[in-house]
Formats: sequence, C-alpha cells, structure tokens
Amino acid sequence: MSVLTALARAQAWQAGRAQPVATVRHVHVAPRPFVFVPLALAGEACAPLAAMAGDDPADPRLLVVAQPRNRTQRFAFAAELGRELLRYIGGFPAGGAGEEGAGAAADRGTAGQGAGEGGEGERAVPPDAPQVWLPNRAGIGFTRLLGRSTRFRRAEGEHAVDPVVPVLGRWLTFLAERSEHPGSCLMLAATEALALHWATGQSPAEDLNLASLIGWIDPPAWTDGREAARAAEDPLAWPPAGPATDPGFDNEVLARLIAACDRAEAGGGEAARAKAALGEALAGQLEPAWRLTWRAIGLLRALPEGGHVAGRWEADRRAFGWHAAHLRDGGPPQPRRDSAVAAARRLDSMERAAASLAVQRALDDPLVMAEHRLAGEALAGRVTAAEPDRVITGPSGRRVLRPLVTVRTHDPVSVEPGTVLAPPGRPNQHARVESVAPLGARGAGMAGASGASGASGASGAGAGAAGETEVVLELSGGMGQRLTPAPGSVPGVGDWVCYATLRDEYQPPAGFPEPEQTPWTHGGPPRPYEPTDEDAREAWS
Amino acid sequence: MAQLAEELERRMEELRAEIRRAVIAGDRARASELRRRLRATDREWEEALARLAAPQAPGGPGPGAGPGPGADAGEPAGRRGGALLTVRERVHQALTLLGAPAAPRLIVAVYEAFYAGELPAARLTSLRRDEERSFRSAPHARPYYLCAALSADLLAPARGLLAVSTWPMERRVIGPLSPRVDYLTAAIGVAERLLATGQPPAAARRLLWRFAVNIPGAASGPAGLDPGQVAAAARAELAVHADADAAHRAAAARRALDQLDSAGQLFGGGGLRLLRGGAAR
Amino acid sequence: MNAVEARLDRLRGSAAPRAHNARTISALASNPGCARRAVMDAAGVDKQRVAAHVGHPAPFGQSQFAITRGNAFEAQVKAGGCAQLLRLLRERLRLPIPEVSYANLDDVAGDTSNKVRHARTRALLARAAASGQDAGTLFDHPLLRLRAGGRAVYLEPDLIAFQLRGRFHVVEIKSFAVIDGQADGGKVAAAVIQSAVYVLALRDLLAELGTGPEAVSDEVVLVCPKDFSNEPTAALLDVRKQLTVLRRQLARLDRIEDLLAQIPQAVTFDLEPDAAGVPRRDRRALELAIGAVPARYTPECLETCEMCRFCREEAAGSTAALGRATRDDLGGIDDIGTVLELARGSVPPADHQAEAAAAIRAAARMRGEILGATG
Ligand code: SF4
Repeated sequence: MSVLTALARAQAWQAGRAQPVATVRHVHVAPRPFVFVPLALAGEACAPLAAMAGDDPADPRLLVVAQPRNRTQRFAFAAELGRELLRYIGGFPAGGAGEEGAGAAADRGTAGQGAGEGGEGERAVPPDAPQVWLPNRAGIGFTRLLGRSTRFRRAEGEHAVDPVVPVLGRWLTFLAERSEHPGSCLMLAATEALALHWATGQSPAEDLNLASLIGWIDPPAWTDGREAARAAEDPLAWPPAGPATDPGFDNEVLARLIAACDRAEAGGGEAARAKAALGEALAGQLEPAWRLTWRAIGLLRALPEGGHVAGRWEADRRAFGWHAAHLRDGGPPQPRRDSAVAAARRLDSMERAAASLAVQRALDDPLVMAEHRLAGEALAGRVTAAEPDRVITGPSGRRVLRPLVTVRTHDPVSVEPGTVLAPPGRPNQHARVESVAPLGARGAGMAGASGASGASGASGAGAGAAGETEVVLELSGGMGQRLTPAPGSVPGVGDWVCYATLRDEYQPPAGFPEPEQTPWTHGGPPRPYEPTDEDAREAWS
Repeated sequence: MAQLAEELERRMEELRAEIRRAVIAGDRARASELRRRLRATDREWEEALARLAAPQAPGGPGPGAGPGPGADAGEPAGRRGGALLTVRERVHQALTLLGAPAAPRLIVAVYEAFYAGELPAARLTSLRRDEERSFRSAPHARPYYLCAALSADLLAPARGLLAVSTWPMERRVIGPLSPRVDYLTAAIGVAERLLATGQPPAAARRLLWRFAVNIPGAASGPAGLDPGQVAAAARAELAVHADADAAHRAAAARRALDQLDSAGQLFGGGGLRLLRGGAAR
Repeated sequence: MNAVEARLDRLRGSAAPRAHNARTISALASNPGCARRAVMDAAGVDKQRVAAHVGHPAPFGQSQFAITRGNAFEAQVKAGGCAQLLRLLRERLRLPIPEVSYANLDDVAGDTSNKVRHARTRALLARAAASGQDAGTLFDHPLLRLRAGGRAVYLEPDLIAFQLRGRFHVVEIKSFAVIDGQADGGKVAAAVIQSAVYVLALRDLLAELGTGPEAVSDEVVLVCPKDFSNEPTAALLDVRKQLTVLRRQLARLDRIEDLLAQIPQAVTFDLEPDAAGVPRRDRRALELAIGAVPARYTPECLETCEMCRFCREEAAGSTAALGRATRDDLGGIDDIGTVLELARGSVPPADHQAEAAAAIRAAARMRGEILGATG
C-alpha cells in the first residue's frame, strides 16, 4: 500500500466506482484459460463437495460429491476432475504427461517449437502453457490441499485409486506452489489479479469477496459500485465464491439434500432424483462464481499488456515444461516438506522474483512508477534544456558523447549528484545526476525526501513555483556508436521524461550448498524423497 | 458354535420369562405359542451342543423369572444361526465380551466387528430407560438388565455408560481410575476374543488396533498387530492402576449396597433424585 | 445492586443479560478501543438482536456440518477415559503412566446447572491444588468462572489436565486439521486467545483458593486432527502475550463507569418487546441510542462483532472504513471528503496535516498527470 493506492481508494469511494492503480495489465491472460471453482464441506480439512471446472465459459463441467465424507466418492471426484484438467493440460504441447500418450505430446511439443531459446542439451521452452483461474486465494489453498491429499496415492495395491488421481495431485501441487511465486501466472486468483489493477472504495478485507469487488469495478448500469458491492454481500443473491459455503445454505438446504441422497442410497429408489436435486442446488451455488471468474478474466484481458509480462510468462512456460518432463520421466511426487536446502533455495528464488517483479511493473507502468517517484527513487518532469551533442574527453582520453538534459520536476527529489539513474524503456542508457536545484523553495535547501518542505506553501503551481526542482543529468549509452546521438535517443526540450534508480538486473541466485553438502545443523544431506506406502494409503477422512 | 449355544440359551431364558407373564395374564393362547417356540429353541440348542466338541454347561440364571408381556426392545432383527437376537441381546453380547461398562459407540463397534450383524446406534439411546421401566414394573422378571454404571462418589448414573445387572456391584461403579481400567479391561476382552477366534474378521482386528495404539508397548504397527502382545501390554498397565481402582470401587460398592434400593443399585440413586429435584425447580 | 450495575441494567432494558463466553471475551481483545462494544458487552446486550432491529444483522452463522464434526472429534479424543488424549499427553508431554484419573464435570449427578457444576469443579480443583495425592488428572468440561465487567461469566474449557509437569494445563480440542505440521493461522490464533481466557479463569479460581498463578501453565495444549485423518495430534502453545492483552481489556471493562459517564443518562438499548416478544422499539430511536456511544469501526469488526454492519454504515465516508493501512497511508486523516479536498488543494491543510497533505497532493498530481484527469 501507498499514498497513491490509498488516495485511489478514497477517490473510488467518492466516485462510486473502482479507480485504476495500473495503466497496463501485469498478468498474462491466456487465450484459453481453465476455470476451477471448488466448494468444500464445512468442518473438514479437505472434503470436496462440488466444483465447476472447464475451459469453456458456456459449458462448465459440474462435479458433485453426494456424500462428502465417503472416501470412495471423494476419489471418484478427484478422478473426474483429473480427467477434466488433464484433458485441458494435454492440449498444450509438452503438457500431455499423463499416464499415457506422454511421448506423443512431447514430440508435438518439440516439433511445434519455433526458434526456441533452449540451447544445446537444454530443454526447449514449450510454446504455451496452461493457466488455471480460481475465484480467490482460499480456492488456491483448497487446490493445494487437494493436491496434497491425492499426489501420493497409487494406482495399484491395497488402496488403489484411479491412475489419474495421483497425476492430478501432482499437477495441482505444482500449480498451487507456482502461484506463490511472484509474477507467475500459471494459477491465478481472480480477486488478487483484479486488486492489482483497481482500487475499490472499500477495505482490502471486503475485496476478498469477488462479487463485491467486481461490483465496484464494473457495476451494473442502473447503480454504482457502493450499491453493487453491498448487494453482492447477500449470500442468497450471491453465494460465496467458495471454497467455504454459506452456513445458511448448509443448514437449510444442503443438509436435507445430502440426507435425502443417503436415504435414497439405502432404500434403492429415488436415488437419481435425490442426486439431481443436490446437483441442482450446488450448481446454483457455483454458477455465480463461475460467471464472475470469467468476467474477471474478461476485464483484465481488456487492458493492454505490460512490456515484461511476456518475459515472465516465458519463465512460467519453462516451469511448466520442466514439470511435464519430470512427470514423463517418472520423477517422484513433491515431498511433504521441502528439505532445508530446497526451502532456502525456494525462498531465495521467490525473493529475487519479487524484487524483479516490482521493478518490472514500475518500468512497464507509469502509475506504478509514481510510487517510486513519491518515495524519491525516481523523478519525472519536462525537459527545459538539452545539449544533445555534448562531447567530452573520457577518463581513457577518448572523446565520448555525453549529452546534458535539464529536467524540471514537481516530484520530491532525494537523489544526489553522482547518482546514476536509468530511463525506463531504454535499458542501455544511463543518466548521472550532475546537479539538483530546488526552484523557489524557501531556504529549505534541497527538497526533502518526503516532499513536505516544498509543498507546504501555496497551492498554485506555475513555472518556478515552490516545490519544483531542476535536475541536470548527463546521459551515456544507448545513443549509437557515433559522436552525435541516434535520432530519438536523447529527449528534447518540452519532452516528458522519467528517470529512476530502479534497474531490472539479473540477480544471480545466492550460493547454496549442493543438497548432498547440507550442513548437519540443517539436518544433513536430505535423503531423496521416497513416497512411502503410508503416504499412499494415508487416510482421507 | 459356543456363541450360538449361548445365544440360544438367552433366547430360551427370554421365552421362559414371557411364558410366565402370559400365564399370569391368563393368556393361554399366547402361552402355548410361546411354549411351542421354546421347545423348538430347545431342540436347536441340543443340536448346537451336540455339534460342539467340548460340551457346554447349560446353566444360567433365571429361576425366578416369571412370564409377562413381550420385551419392549424385543423386536427381532438380524438372523444368526437361526436365532433371532433382540437389540438388548446384542448389547448384552457385546458387553459380556468387553467385561466392563462401556459407551454405546464402543458397544456398537464390538458387536459389528465380532458378530457380523448390525446394531443401529440410534436404538441404544432409549435402551437404559426402557430397561429401567421394565424393571420397575416387574422387578427381576428378566434374567439380566442392561443398567447404568454408577459414579463412585455420588452413586448417580455415569453419563453414557451401559452395564449388565448381573455384574458385581464393584464392576458397575466408576471411580476416578475406572475409565482407564475399564478401557484396558475392554482391550483385553477384545484381544482374547481375537485369540480364541481362528479367522478373526478384519473389522475385529481394526478394533483391536484402535485399542493398541493407545496402550504403551501394545503394538508397533498395524501389520505386526499381535493380540497376545496387546493383552499383555494392557495387563502391564492395568497392574499400575488396579489396586487403587479396586479399593475405590469396593468402598463405593459397599455404600451403594447400603444406601440404595434394588432399583437404585441398577439405575442410580442420588442422581435421579437430584435430577428430579432439578427438573421440578 | 450498585449504581453501575443499575445503569447497565437500564442500558440493556427488559431483556435478560446475555452471558459472555470465551469467544466473546476473546473478541474484546480484537477491538480494544471501541467504547460501544465495551458498554454493550458489559451490559449484556444481545448485540445481534439490536443490530437486526436497526436493519443490520451480522451475517454470522455456523454450519451444522462444522458443529457436528467438532463435536465428533472431541468425543473421539475423549472416548474410553480419554484414551487418545492420554496417549498424546504421555508421548508428547511425558505424563506419567499412573496419571489416568478422570472426572467428568459435564453434570453433577445429572444436574447440569452452572452453579452446581462450578461448585463441583471448584471442589475438585481445590483438592487437586492442595494435595499431590489422589488429586485427579483429567477434568473433563470443568466449569470455570471469570469476572468480566463486574459480572460473573461461566466458561467451559474442553479439558484441564493436572500433574502435567506438576502444573495445570488447559487443553483445547479443535477439529481444524494440522497438515504436514501446518495449520490455518487464523484458526490457531483464535484457539490460542480462547485458551488464554481459560487460563485466566483458572488462575482466578485458584487465586480464590489461595494458590498462586504459577500453578497454571501459560502453555496450553492444542489437540487437532493430523493431516487428512481423524488421528489427533497435540502441540503446546504459549499464551503469555494473549494473557497480557486480555488482562488489560478486562481491567478496562471493570472501569466501565468511566465510559458510562460519557453517555447520556437516557440511553437504552431496550427493544421494548411486546407480550409475544416482538421488538416494538422505534427504530430511529434505537439508532440514536447506539449512535450515542462512540464506536471505533475497522474492517476487522466484520469478523468479530455483531454490530459490524451497523457500524460500517455509520463509518461510511471515513478513511477507517477503507482499512487501517489506507487510513495510515493517508496520514490518519479521518474523513474521505477532507482527503479529497486536500488532494485538490481546495482547502489549506491544518498544521498537523501539513506533511500528509503534501504527500496526498503529490499523489493526486501524479495520478492526474498519468490518467489525464484531475482527482
Ligand atoms: S462493530 Fe462497532 S461496536 Fe463492534 S467493535 Fe466494531 S465499532 Fe465497536
């Protein structure tokens, strides 16, 4: 959060409509995503009750567990979901790593690969990857548990399950884990993706309700966001988007219908009717969230894509390819818990991804960059003077092109002479701060980081008004090979420019010992995870 | 086969009591019908005995039992070896196996594990009340009653426990250590029945496993479950608590026999009075 | 009856006081600054009914499936003389083998009244505290009592274990799962604070008997199902921090007269039910009465307080309604209207707002510049 977002919330409340906090889309939206809306039975760790799933908004697949405490029915649900999801994943080259047909899918994957970046011995990056949407983060949590409770199962032996069940478990685990990786878009929660782009006139806690969040972003024509969000809180009109059900629905509707199914089962007759009634009631609970999730996808798709989104999606595709290959090669399922080294590695990789995502978003999006300008880490303003052909003698004695530009900005400037900045969108150019001069400030010297000293004066803002700062920058790089700059590589007077301390640089991973060199303080070298018989027959009750 | 004989014996006891009730009520037709059934049961019993390698003593209580109206929990359900077992009979069987007062849940589990029959838990909820009513209308008319276990301190019915009236009073009172002692006793009962059964049903082994995990040294894993080891481990822990528990129970039993009338000894004394007092307030 | 109690009774009106329980007491800790809640709770007002009468019932409810599961799990852990619990206490906390004594305090010879159960609990715990011998080990559903806002509150922990490392331990049995060593943080936090309430009540009881607080461990035992099974697992949780928070809140409730002094004498939350129990109170009058007691709404109220929907409506237009972080980012300025005026520069900021106003204006300028409009 920041003043910018907070202000956007205040403005949203006033306007009765959500306000943008991004000018471009920061998530990848697949042309053919898969939506999964699960419901769980209250009070149980992970008892699937029903789900809507599929990649066609007009044709959701409804899955229902008539007796959620029944183990056999749970596995039947998992198998059905597994087939649905694997059919979808199998549609992506390199993704057909199911029990069979994996080879064919892999071949297609390689053949379909154009100018792949994969070098010698490296696996080719799959041209596309699946993308699974859930209504909210709690749905992803449920997905993770469903993956955990199915991935160790076996297709043979005493507690044999449908062979698709453990495969489903491993995909769900992969996707749910990947969703914690900053910037990854293989599995997304609709509420989070929307909140990244819009600020509503309510609290973040209330934004967790997808119906109410969309009410603010895209209210129906006859009302405003405030009203739409309130209306969305009525569980009768807008059942919660799962995985938790509305307690009133449980007590007044669900309990009776499940009991009817039980009785019918015992009595023989009526079974089909009871199941149909249950299915209908559950479909009624799921359908609104199904539609809302697709609407969220549509709202996001309408935004122009940010410049770095494709790069992050490539990392996702690569991860997808690795996992598919791991499955195909008969690798073991994800362990119950990471070993010490794996956990540290994962944390390091997530931290680096988070840092890189923050920079990339700022570089892609002036609204995000504004946060850094407010914090004094970047500045934007108009060029008031430029010396594009300035040539000086460099330290090595060579003559080099070093244009000067003078930027006048309202931003609270906290950079000091000597600092090196970079203009977003010109990765090779650098700008060294030559001087910083506050204009019309009242003896406060340089503008403070908070911007308070400059802004406490009058509110009118003319040329040279209080609160403005003039910064002189010396540019280098990114201007071509000659002693005159390539056209367009140096801004001219009157241009709007931005320079930031941020840079999206590759951060090498921190050095970690190889797994076999794990120090004893961290448990010593981990034994490679071998799923046990016990894992396979673990109770799911 | 021994079980079958036992069941038949109990059935005959029931029939005898019912015949006497019918006679007192002057219902000749019903009495003769009951006699006919008794003779048939008797023949079955003879056959069962004949098939037993080791003959069973036919004894059993019930000399004072008199005829009366049909048993309230007597709806027959589940046919086993030709014998129709009522709910109370099935509960009696399970309790006898356990050898200690037990909660309905455990009774159901034991019956279903060992007797391959069903015992709907819902049918047990009113059992104790029905038995008390039956006892109060015709005391000691039945060879046994399913009664309450009494809390040692207040001699009030202990919540949710069923016992058998023919057990000694010491077994039917519950002191502070008794829940654990009875748990271990039940574990021993289950283990020994498993040892005595050649091909124990899987459900019975699972039941024993559930006991074993809660007893130190009783088992290392479901695969290595050994009823003998479970019984030995249970006895070892039992030895720690037995003396103190027995002393508690003996003292409480003496008080119960002193202070309570015969109905009170079976269904609780002070507690009921208190309960009524509470309800009247 | 003293003046404060009389005043509280008047606030509540004709309805019987609603008893506190561990949940309502732990909820006190969640919004300590709210006078409205403190007063209504001290008076034992049925907040849900009041909120419903002014048209803003809280959407709280519990699924029967969750309740059933919770009860079944507790019954299972306690079955057979707490057989499963004993195993956990022995294996994890080294409870000695001879310690198996069990007392069920659900009722006393069939009497389930609070008074009788509490008296019996007290007697047994006194005996336990006084003597190591024959002192008892497991006390199932003891009934404790805590003074909160000048009123006695009866509280029923799942179980208290004694002779566990020589001290009393509160045992809470919850049916949410611990999966691969991890449980839902929110649920654990709720269980911890609830257990802390019991620790406090148990210490109170022992203090009356002359036993010091150190007899009660400030670690509680939390029993939950493991992974996806029904198998229980146990963990020790430190509740010291929660104890401090609760103590402070309860002390505040005890000083309720300070709060009452700021409320007009005529205020009452009486619903004026008719003979059939249907509330007849004028709705507007009730709204004014509620409004007479200052509140401090935050979105967290939506999870913890029955008045939340009313207070949210009342707080509409305040930055607090947008969440604590938003309010802080806006320099603590209360009113959304003021924020937007400062953003436009249409009013001069007050001295204490100067810094916040500058940041808000800079933000507004940037948003306008980028989105091509003025906020
Ligand atoms: S909902 Fe209202 S009364 Fe309740 S704590 Fe929040 S502000 Fe106070």
